[in-house]
Amino acid sequence: MAEKKKLSTADILAAARKNAAGGATPPPAEKQPAADAPAEVTPPSAPIAAESAGDSPAATPKSARAGGAKPSVADILAAARANKAAAGGAAAQPAAAKPAAAKPAAEKPAAKPKADKPAAAKPAAASGPAVRDTSSILAAARAASKPGPVSKSEAAARAKPAVPAKSAKGESAVPPMPAKPDYAKPKATKEAPQEERRFFLGVLVGSFLGLGFSTLSATGGLWTLAVLRYMFPNVLTEPPSKFKIGFPSDFPPGVVEEKFKAQFGIWPVNVEYKGQRQIVAIKTVCTHLGCTPNWLEAEQKFKCPCHGSGFYKDGINFEGPAPRPLERYAIRLADDGQLEVDKSRTFQEELGQWSDASCFVSV
Amino acid sequence: MHSAPDFLSHVATPLGFYYMILCVLNWVAALVMWRHGPKTYTTLKLGPATIPVTNVIVWLLVGAAFFVCAPLAMIGLPPELPSEVKQIVNELSGPVTLTLGSLALFTILFVFRRAWTAPPVAWTILNLALLAMGMSMTDPNFTAIVAKPDNVPIVGLVFLLGFFTWLATYKAVLNDDRAAQGLPPLEKEDNEKVLVWPDLVYTELICMVALTAFLLLWAIALQAPLEEPSSRVKTPNPSKAPWYFLGLQEMLVYYDPWMAGVVLPSVVLLGLMAIPYLDFNRKGSGYYTISERKFAYLVFQFGFLELWVILIILGTFLRGPNWNFFGPFETWDAHKVLAQNNVDLSQFFWIKWLNQSMPKAPTGSGAGTELLYILWREMPGILLVFAYFVLLPPIMAATIFRKFFVKMGFIRFMLMSNLLLMMGSLPLKMVARWSVNLKYFISIPEYFLNF
Ligand code: FES
Repeated sequence: MAEKKKLSTADILAAARKNAAGGATPPPAEKQPAADAPAEVTPPSAPIAAESAGDSPAATPKSARAGGAKPSVADILAAARANKAAAGGAAAQPAAAKPAAAKPAAEKPAAKPKADKPAAAKPAAASGPAVRDTSSILAAARAASKPGPVSKSEAAARAKPAVPAKSAKGESAVPPMPAKPDYAKPKATKEAPQEERRFFLGVLVGSFLGLGFSTLSATGGLWTLAVLRYMFPNVLTEPPSKFKIGFPSDFPPGVVEEKFKAQFGIWPVNVEYKGQRQIVAIKTVCTHLGCTPNWLEAEQKFKCPCHGSGFYKDGINFEGPAPRPLERYAIRLADDGQLEVDKSRTFQEELGQWSDASCFVSV
Repeated sequence: MHSAPDFLSHVATPLGFYYMILCVLNWVAALVMWRHGPKTYTTLKLGPATIPVTNVIVWLLVGAAFFVCAPLAMIGLPPELPSEVKQIVNELSGPVTLTLGSLALFTILFVFRRAWTAPPVAWTILNLALLAMGMSMTDPNFTAIVAKPDNVPIVGLVFLLGFFTWLATYKAVLNDDRAAQGLPPLEKEDNEKVLVWPDLVYTELICMVALTAFLLLWAIALQAPLEEPSSRVKTPNPSKAPWYFLGLQEMLVYYDPWMAGVVLPSVVLLGLMAIPYLDFNRKGSGYYTISERKFAYLVFQFGFLELWVILIILGTFLRGPNWNFFGPFETWDAHKVLAQNNVDLSQFFWIKWLNQSMPKAPTGSGAGTELLYILWREMPGILLVFAYFVLLPPIMAATIFRKFFVKMGFIRFMLMSNLLLMMGSLPLKMVARWSVNLKYFISIPEYFLNF
């Protein structure tokens, strides 16, 4: 396929050169807008392909889809070949193919690498307007020759003709640029009324921006305040931190009282600690990661279901990963003889706080 | 001892279908092999006739065996595991044997990778695993764990993981063989480019539709497990993290929450991020290979299979109430008593070996003195950890990792060796916990510092 295309390339270039040498046909063709072309051309698919190629030469599938890839390319090439004859009737056909390709070349040549390469490959031909058309036609033809997915092997085969282009890229990768039209030239600068207008615009935009950002920050600040306020609710439905649990006689030796676990999160226990019988309030939170252990009556231990920490009845850890004993809450004998637990203070054994008299009631 | 008949009738229909599926699986495999040209293993002489034993015939027969099992299971007579086997399995799934066994298995998988990845062998292993699973399903305890809606995906994942491990190892073995012959890897032979559109997008679309349908069916067939309303004071027993965190939860059993919850996971993440900067082996990019990247392969597989997957399996299937160990055929008894009196290294050192009481600051001394006493108390652990992390790397650099040190330079080598040692500390700690009930090497609960 590549071979065939190469031949046709030669044909086209030859045709183009002939045109440049003695043809008066191309210049009018170039001036003619693409929109006029369809009226004159007989093959209907050609203008469509040419148009889409003119819009975006890189988007080949579009052109392929627009007019059916192969016929349109064939048409374009046929049109180009017809130039060789330089007959009078040919005036119409180039009109279809050429402006389409010429337009993008004039507007932004740098963005058209596919069209560049053939042009660079034959720098000798890079003189007349006809040459640009040729390269574009070739680009369109190459790109459209195989629509759809292209595998790597195919891509390699297709890359072959482009190889010489790479070597010559350094000299003339960019096709010659036409002179810029008036409207494309940079406008005359520093005119007084314009500056005023700009200043006004700046103030307008600036004030809008300022307004926007100050609103945003005000809203953000209010939100933050509201969230902060949310952290301190009006009503706390927590149980009070100080509460009475009954008389010391309600807690016989060696019994772990479970009835306060659900509401208050404590286990009042009557234990012997360091040779002293005392009633303490153990906090029902595992010192490993904070799960709630269970009291296993049969095994006489607290056991955590999360990672298996175990604690003796007095709260001392003995198995599993818990690094320290369960904590105690403050407990005291109230004036009416009842035990009163204060959950606002905790006592940790490893810090030596269990010797503090406010964390137990001796019995 | 046979399982209770009412339980058997309960699982009869699912098991029947299960064996039917196994049968179809083998017959399809036989069909595929037949179309690819059967291979003859041996020939059998039966009187005058010689019968060639081909792989097609073998798998047809295996399928037929499953075909017989299906109706048997339907009428309540499925093949069962003998209770002696269950007993042995229960005992073997204790933590120490599990860890050592999985380590041995890991070694076998690596050393004999050529043998077990051979398709007939791998297919046999799969069949055996599926059969063992089917036979275990007749045990109510096993089924209770495996068929729990929470755990069904994990069972599936185990098989999926097995498949992908096989696939990768198989391809790596093929590539290594090709490399030995001087051929490029398979992936280089067939490196045709595919396009995002339409190739990838179509594939994704099809996968999306199929997976959505599958998930819908699953959601209808297996109801999501809902538990009782949450309560601050009642923690479900056992309390299990989502399956993908069970490895972390298992890690928490051996370490202080600070270490296992914050430090080690961050080190894992940072270590994984550091791999591209530590890896100096340029081989093996874009294709499967083992022998060109032995170190990387072993370290990764060890970290993934042993320290992550095995821990997930352990947490899912073998941890029961109170986070005790239970064998797969054992009843989850909430009152199972395991003696686990854990002891810190400092207690070992001072009380057991030196027969002294632990050094303790005299009451009323200042914070500085107390800290000094604490450090003195934990001296053995501190020295040990220091030696492990500071003295070991230079020794490694001078001996087994000499080449690594030369290639990586000081900083990269130190990073690598410390990450490696960090990784190794987990199984070491686990084994120490299980074998000598060691709780912490360094235990400073006063400052929330335990290691
Ligand atoms: S939270 Fe209790 S053992 Fe981990």
